[in-house]
Amino acid sequence: MRAHHRVGSIFWLVIGIYITISAYRLGLGSFRQPGPGFIFFLMALLLIILSAIDLRTTFIGKSKSEKEKPEAPLWKGARWPKVLIVLVGISIYNYVFNFLGFLLSTFLLMIFLFKAVEPTKWWVSVLASIITILLSFGIFKLWLKVPFPIGVLGF
Amino acid sequence: MDVLHNLISGFSLILQPDNLFFCFIGVFIGTLIGVLPGIGPVGAMSLLLPATYKVSPLASVIMLAGIYYGAQYGGSTTSILVNIPGESSSVVTCLDGYQMARQGRAGPALGIAAFGSFIAGTLALVGLMLVAPPLASIALRFGPPEYFSLMCLGLTILIYLASGSVIRAIMMAAFGVILGCIGQDPETGSSRFVFGVPDLLDGIGLAPLVMGLFGISEVFLNIEQSLKSGRILETKIKGLLPNWQDWKDSIKPILRGSVLGFFLGILPGGGAVISSFASYAVEKKVSKHPEMFGKGTIEGVAGPESANNAASEGAFVPLLTLGIPPNVVMALLLGALMIHGITPGPLLIPKHPEIFWGVIASMYIGNAMLLVLNLPLIGMWVQVLKVPYKILFPLILLFCLIGAYSINNSTFDVAIMMVFGVLGYLMRKYKFEGAPMVLAFVLGPMLENSLRQSLLLSDGSFLIFFTRPISAGGMIVTLLMLISCIIPAFRKKREEIPMEEVE
Repeated sequence: MRAHHRVGSIFWLVIGIYITISAYRLGLGSFRQPGPGFIFFLMALLLIILSAIDLRTTFIGKSKSEKEKPEAPLWKGARWPKVLIVLVGISIYNYVFNFLGFLLSTFLLMIFLFKAVEPTKWWVSVLASIITILLSFGIFKLWLKVPFPIGVLGF
Repeated sequence: MDVLHNLISGFSLILQPDNLFFCFIGVFIGTLIGVLPGIGPVGAMSLLLPATYKVSPLASVIMLAGIYYGAQYGGSTTSILVNIPGESSSVVTCLDGYQMARQGRAGPALGIAAFGSFIAGTLALVGLMLVAPPLASIALRFGPPEYFSLMCLGLTILIYLASGSVIRAIMMAAFGVILGCIGQDPETGSSRFVFGVPDLLDGIGLAPLVMGLFGISEVFLNIEQSLKSGRILETKIKGLLPNWQDWKDSIKPILRGSVLGFFLGILPGGGAVISSFASYAVEKKVSKHPEMFGKGTIEGVAGPESANNAASEGAFVPLLTLGIPPNVVMALLLGALMIHGITPGPLLIPKHPEIFWGVIASMYIGNAMLLVLNLPLIGMWVQVLKVPYKILFPLILLFCLIGAYSINNSTFDVAIMMVFGVLGYLMRKYKFEGAPMVLAFVLGPMLENSLRQSLLLSDGSFLIFFTRPISAGGMIVTLLMLISCIIPAFRKKREEIPMEEVE
């Protein structure tokens, strides 16, 4: 667990250092007239100090609660590849949304989501996708007038 | 007598069929978007803003206001049943509401949320009607140091509520401020952390950020686990009417939440969100059994739900009397009034009494409509939410995707939402809390402005925050709360109180 704790602290430490340097380049101004990077610098400095303290705690002896109740491994048993698959699917959807248009791209995404994570019968996937598309089209396009892209196929 | 006379004339306006219809449409849509995760009142109001051009100014404000406070009612439903807050102000409701649902007490949780909201909404209206003028004069005296210290206090309350490490909660708040300030510098106009992306010049949108951090990450966490043990199927609704003991436990939290929410709602910076968290903190502190908080205690639902509703109505005070929108929703209402050539401010009441008193009367009617609408609607939404998660999660994702797209009709917002979805997922895995980040994100720009203005006023001296009474009070309470987290005795007591974040 400590390794995971460290990863979190180091991540924010690196982010803090990056923002501090960038904020300094933006211009800090003075206390009398703070510049555009002033607030970023202050907050990033706070982030660095606190993540360093947080990191330090991982090198000190185990806390009482940690001894009594060791935490489960972070990724063991987790179906993170499923999350990754969904993420990739949505990223592709977002990329082709304007090109394929709302109806086609959303239909493909829905079929993908219904099938990719848990096996669902084809007819259920197709029917649920069609119902979802019609419902969302009715609500967002016809009622709320959201201008969805038509796409290369013209619908 | 003037108040009564004006209120009667307000009722005569709202009871006209047209206005009554728009009030109903507003509260209905508000409940609907409150119930649906991933679509907030801001998005819905933005979408409906063009629709108000063709109706009277009063009808447009009545409808938009109805969406706002209606969403506060509806937001609690998904918090309790699915553990996904319909609105950011309902985040805290998840803590005990969802636990109650898991224990088979979803009915009383939903019931007390609706009744609490009604009572608080009605009490807040009385407050709005009676104390708006004197409060406006006090608020007029607030300067940048006061705003800064009050925002610091709001953030500290949230940090105090953090479940795990205070250090990590402050880190998230600091990062939230950074995210909130991305975009053009309001004073120099220089672009900050936009990485050459024009869409970032106006900053990161609140809706994609919140939808990502809370909605998408929740879906990811559920996907990660086996979907067969769907959480929604576990939820059972038994009778929506709270029993005598529930009422006994809830009435004081409702009354405290109403007062707290109303006054915090008046202050700028996401009053409904702060007030719900503040109410939770207060209830936890005054409770005889604080260890039960986070495990499904009804006070943890009644207080925050009352507070966020009272705050949503308290937020009208600065808008209608000073012309200052305390949050994004109020800014949208300001926009709707300006389109009709009406400028909210100190002259609104003498010049357009029909707007002020009409809106107030509409809220009475709207609150009654919401109570009638919400309890029967819960049954309908439960049926929707009983759909297996493997069917439901693509729908939640799609609503989030379309909701994010519809804000600016841009796939960029969808990408931003997904980025924060992944970040939120990892944050939950690595035990970092999202709530302090969101609140700091909302307050960030105001915090920066008030800090810069205060330093300009004081010629660079930070003592300005301690030399003005209201500001000094806020800062002292802030510091005391932070110190109490560090002192071992207080820290131990705090750690004994389970404060699970939305899981």
